[in-house]
Amino acid sequence: MSGTTNMVVSVRGLTKAYGATSVLKGVDFSVARGEIHALLGGNGAGKSTMIRIITGSASKGDGEVAFFGPDGAQRSEAEGRARVAVVHQELALLPHLTVAENITLPHLRTGFATVNRKAAARKAFEALAMIDAEFAARSLHRLVENLSLHEGQMVEIARALSSGAELLLLDEPTANLTSGETVRLFAVLRRLANDAGLSVVFVSHRMKEIRQIANVCTIIRDGRTVVDRMGLSELSDGAIIEKMGQLAISNSAPGPDASHKRVHGEPLSIREAGTDIELSPGTILGVAGAPAGPSSLISALVGAAEAKRWTVSRAGWPNSFRTPRKAAAAGAGFVTGDRAHKGILHSLPIIDNVLASRRVVRGTAVISGAESRECVDLLHALSVKAASIWDLPATLSGGTQQKLLLARWLGLPSSLLVLEEPTRGVDIRTKKEIYQLIRQMASTGTIIVWWSTENVELLEVCDQIVAFDTEGNTAGVIERGEMSEDRLAELTGMAT
Amino acid sequence: MMRTSTQEATPVQPPTPPIKNRESLLSAYRTEIAIAIAMVILALAVGSQVPQALSWGNFSNITHAGAPLIIMSLGVLLVVITGGIDLSVGSVFSLTGMVTAQAMAVGFGGVTASLFGLGVGLVFGSINGFLVTVAGLAPFVVTLITFAVAGSLAFIVTNGRSMPIPDPDYWLLNAGSIVPGVPNYILFCIALLIGIEIFLKKVVAGRWFYAVGSSAAAAYLLGIPVKRIKFFAYVASSLLASFSGLLTISYILNAESTAGASLMLQAIAAVVIGGASLLGGTGTAVGAVLGALMITVIQNGVNLIGINSFWQGSVTGLAILIAVLIDRFGKARRGAG
Repeated sequence: MSGTTNMVVSVRGLTKAYGATSVLKGVDFSVARGEIHALLGGNGAGKSTMIRIITGSASKGDGEVAFFGPDGAQRSEAEGRARVAVVHQELALLPHLTVAENITLPHLRTGFATVNRKAAARKAFEALAMIDAEFAARSLHRLVENLSLHEGQMVEIARALSSGAELLLLDEPTANLTSGETVRLFAVLRRLANDAGLSVVFVSHRMKEIRQIANVCTIIRDGRTVVDRMGLSELSDGAIIEKMGQLAISNSAPGPDASHKRVHGEPLSIREAGTDIELSPGTILGVAGAPAGPSSLISALVGAAEAKRWTVSRAGWPNSFRTPRKAAAAGAGFVTGDRAHKGILHSLPIIDNVLASRRVVRGTAVISGAESRECVDLLHALSVKAASIWDLPATLSGGTQQKLLLARWLGLPSSLLVLEEPTRGVDIRTKKEIYQLIRQMASTGTIIVWWSTENVELLEVCDQIVAFDTEGNTAGVIERGEMSEDRLAELTGMAT
Repeated sequence: MMRTSTQEATPVQPPTPPIKNRESLLSAYRTEIAIAIAMVILALAVGSQVPQALSWGNFSNITHAGAPLIIMSLGVLLVVITGGIDLSVGSVFSLTGMVTAQAMAVGFGGVTASLFGLGVGLVFGSINGFLVTVAGLAPFVVTLITFAVAGSLAFIVTNGRSMPIPDPDYWLLNAGSIVPGVPNYILFCIALLIGIEIFLKKVVAGRWFYAVGSSAAAAYLLGIPVKRIKFFAYVASSLLASFSGLLTISYILNAESTAGASLMLQAIAAVVIGGASLLGGTGTAVGAVLGALMITVIQNGVNLIGINSFWQGSVTGLAILIAVLIDRFGKARRGAG
């Protein structure tokens, strides 16, 4: 094994197939001790599958996965895996336990001895304080079910840190963090990599972030390694995008199209004390900021929860929707940001997932053969690769599952569409496709309200942006002409 | 050590294979086919010991004895698909029999008495549905309560005595032939099987049963009437349990307070053997019927071979284990595990 002396893990010629679908076709990947390594690739390229094989949560086909100790000696698979910790894209915490318990429980090795709660709490505090001492002091004994999505993610990272892992795999860890939190996280990761020799594998679709944190990258495309351990300084952004096979579409990024302004229809007005937003048909309203503020607005718009803060009015609509069903019937669509728990119907085939909203809105009673053709057409329109519309969504990558959620409202006549982080966890090509879809839906007169934690994409696509600060208060409304990255970052406290 | 792979990124996209839009029956019913095969093997194994097990007469015995369980299992299936459970079906079954027999004893005709019986199902199904959806209580707890209440009422109706059916023509409900040549108990099973299977596969409301069981939160956000669907599932389950009770008293022309005691667990077992998950979101009517038949074949086989009938439960348990294992590994292979 030449060339693997200071490696933590080395993967050679790895293959994996699910039934007839071949996901990995020969992947090479190795991580050196103490490096921060960016793992890049489009949706469905095989990144998640490879990570699952490394951690042992999926079996491998052919190929070799080898783990090595600090002295360069090969370790057993079990020992190697024990030194690997993963922070998942979807939260994997126990909701009914406290933050401290969640961080320390997986690592307690006391057998039947009693748990030393004080020592455990101290250990949890130390790990969490590495990210945010103030948050650690305030939240150590809160139940995880009461945490917001981004707080939960911080707990997950702390849990991985506290496990004493030598290799940390982070799957889009910053998707829900504010700029301050991201900076702190990066500082922690750098410190751990330099001082303690921790190796970090970082999966992200945010190019700017990748360059800030990583020094080496591996690019996977269609189940094969196309770039194996290359310095990031040697690759331009364009070269990376090309290697990922996403060049064709990523350059075509037209600004907002002024022509859709002329669509007729009733305007929608959104008010709270001190804020008054009037949206004419075809307007794309960006909602920026950490979750607290945007989710209160979204609940008010789609009837997902009782919201007293906002007044939403539109001619022909009631003062508020009491349930999502009433909202859907009035043509107000919603794409949730909690894809895993509130979006995808995991035990139903792709066709039922894609056509769900259509059936509700149209009041379809009986399923006809035309439906399966409609489903195939929608999948083609979104360039989704699937073997059969009767497969379960689990056979698709996370980004592709996101497309299924968007497909629900694509082409349906709707007056309002509310999107919660529709581009989280999707690759650059898919992001551009989603921007295009959003513009297309707006051009038919649909008012789009789009919450994103990526300010850049809001600036690129939206006509108007309402920004919330990290406390959830409205920080300001920015019109197209006044938009800038700095202004938005200043209002929201988020800079990705 | 730093190197790019020798295989350069190719600019040409491989042609995307077409997306299949038809589901073959073979793949749609792979669990059910596996159960059917297992059942045939089991029947042949019994037949190798006791030849008359494979006779037409015994086949007729199995379907006749299994009909009430089949119908009850179809009801339980509807609840299980939505992610719930119905423990009250056995008690509703018993109470229906007692109420119907008592009604006939005090002079009501067979049809009116049967409607009283079905009323038991309607009332208890509505109570289950109301407590689960409006009061928001856990299905296990709610149906445990109605299981206990209906079970005790079944004794109260006649003070615990068994009750003969005074009208011998009532026998025709079970064994008569609305369609010439097909005994009613088979007709009811087949009609309900086909009706429920089509409802679940082809009617949008049926697909919503699965959506509710898969994720009630996702279904609610989609605008699916989650509560209405759950309510309907409990009412349907109790009504089918009642109907199954009527069929049984018509078969033996006698009603007993404890008649349904063992049926509740058998019905849940049938649904699980048939490939449904108690977590909700999966299961088919074909599977539930095959599961119920499987349990009946086991009971019949144990009787014919002459094994002590106390072993029935153990054999049924083994069948559930095998069915669940087959399902588990089938799913893992398809990448859904």
